[in-house]
Amino acid sequence: MVPPAVLVADIHSVAQHHPLGASTGASPALRGDWPALVRDALRTSTFAVELAALSEPELPGLIDFLASEPALPFHFVSVHAPSKGRAMPEDELVDRLAALPPSVDAIVVHPDQMLEPARYARLGSRLAIENMDARKAVGTTADDLEPFFDACPEAVFCFDVAHAWSVDPEMDEAERLLDRYAWRLRHVHVSSLDEDGHHRPLDDEQEGLFRPLLMRCRDVPWILEAPLR
Amino acid sequence: VIEPAEGALRRLAERGGAPFAHLLAARERTAQELVDLRARTAAVPLPADAAIVMFGSWGRHEVTRRSDHDWVLLVDDRPAAGDGDDDGASAERREDVARAVEAVGRVLGVDERRPGAQQVFGDAVSGERIVRRIGLDADTNRNLTHRMLLVLESQPVAHDAVHRACWERVLDRYLDDRSLRDHRPPRFFLNDVIRYWRTICVDFAGKLQEGGGDKWALRNAKLRTSRKVLFAGGLLPILLCHNVTRSEVRAFLAEQLAAPPTDRLAAAFLTLGAVDPGVRALTAYDRFVGMLDDDAVRRELDGLDRVNADRSRVYREIRRQAEELQQGLLALLFETPLLPYVRQYGIF
Repeated sequence: MVPPAVLVADIHSVAQHHPLGASTGASPALRGDWPALVRDALRTSTFAVELAALSEPELPGLIDFLASEPALPFHFVSVHAPSKGRAMPEDELVDRLAALPPSVDAIVVHPDQMLEPARYARLGSRLAIENMDARKAVGTTADDLEPFFDACPEAVFCFDVAHAWSVDPEMDEAERLLDRYAWRLRHVHVSSLDEDGHHRPLDDEQEGLFRPLLMRCRDVPWILEAPLR
Repeated sequence: VIEPAEGALRRLAERGGAPFAHLLAARERTAQELVDLRARTAAVPLPADAAIVMFGSWGRHEVTRRSDHDWVLLVDDRPAAGDGDDDGASAERREDVARAVEAVGRVLGVDERRPGAQQVFGDAVSGERIVRRIGLDADTNRNLTHRMLLVLESQPVAHDAVHRACWERVLDRYLDDRSLRDHRPPRFFLNDVIRYWRTICVDFAGKLQEGGGDKWALRNAKLRTSRKVLFAGGLLPILLCHNVTRSEVRAFLAEQLAAPPTDRLAAAFLTLGAVDPGVRALTAYDRFVGMLDDDAVRRELDGLDRVNADRSRVYREIRRQAEELQQGLLALLFETPLLPYVRQYGIF
């Protein structure tokens, strides 16, 4: 007889995870049209979504959309703060992020964009600090992230499994990230990366490679930064 | 190997690097305040077969500065041979019990921490009734509530042996089931625990429909968190009975249920190899317990109703913690080796 533990591990694929959700950043053709982006994300899941204002000029439109109190069915809503096209003073950006409505569960921020990390502390436990990919100078390892969490003690962790792979393809650093910050983990970004570091659909080989890590995250929303193939 | 429940929360904290600062502080506060309650009630004249029993956060060992004194006078009123019920008590006996209730009320029912006004606490409870009347019309909502709270989250402060005797009688009643088998969860107990959880949920909606929206936000917050911990704290040990034989079930459940519910949850997460989800679920609950101890949070919740709650950052924060607690418990139930047992016993 096959032990139940083996059965459970074998049937668990990314597509079967609950709760699963899409990042609107994976739909560039609809950029700026938030109602259409949400409709598109609903095709992946009605449980979770990440509303990605990856470029700063996208943020005001997202803020207006959320201020209109759209009837979103999701149980988990995150907003990805801008990581490109930054022009706004950091205090003003944090003000705007802090003013996001209470229905937003997490505000994902890249540590390399946090010039003065302590400014973000007032986002409280909605602040989700994401580990960075190997191209970035800071925020790539568990040790790197420590000062950011020290500055923002209530912050939670957004684990990007592909970023962790880019730093250490053996996934030892990914294990260290989870060992250190598992109790802070609020959601996971799932994808593979292309040669330029852009998110692309998760391939079978990496799904197998990532599985032991993802099984440690089985209770949190997994956000697809590129649609499943 | 099943983890013992006693001390499991601290072991999970050590394994997962989580502080659980609020939960552990609440345990210390509970221990200190229990000493105080024992001293304050020591001089209260009680019938020999009656115990003062605390429910709710006292039974969960999660007392905060604002925790109510949810007490009952539990009477182990076993009938004489041949009696079918406890309703034949003499007038003198009834007066004795009434005097004791009044005396306890003078100690625990006079300040801002007096029991709530739902008529569930602050009164005498017949042990015989909660043991004998399981199911059917006579098992009223109040009777079911007392039975579940007794077996899942109760703490005596006077005449502990009486409490223990009633607690064991309830457990034995659930396990006195001809269908009890090796490696099978006890169905009678399982069904009653599930029934209780669903009853709480339906009653919450029913009260609202009848216009009983008083303290809606606080009651909703507790339904999503501490009531869920209570339910899961019964459900998980019962499901874990699939690991033991019929002759071991009683000792196993007695050990598990003697520990606070958060220890039982922690033990289940450790037993099933789900340390990370366990740490997150109990971290979320830890944050909620911390928020409950914050006067500003209490004031905000007091001012909220169902219509304006979603615009409250405090209420939404509690909902987030509740969702994380629930997702951790769901992962435990559906994404660990417990899954086949949830599927087999959890629905039908």
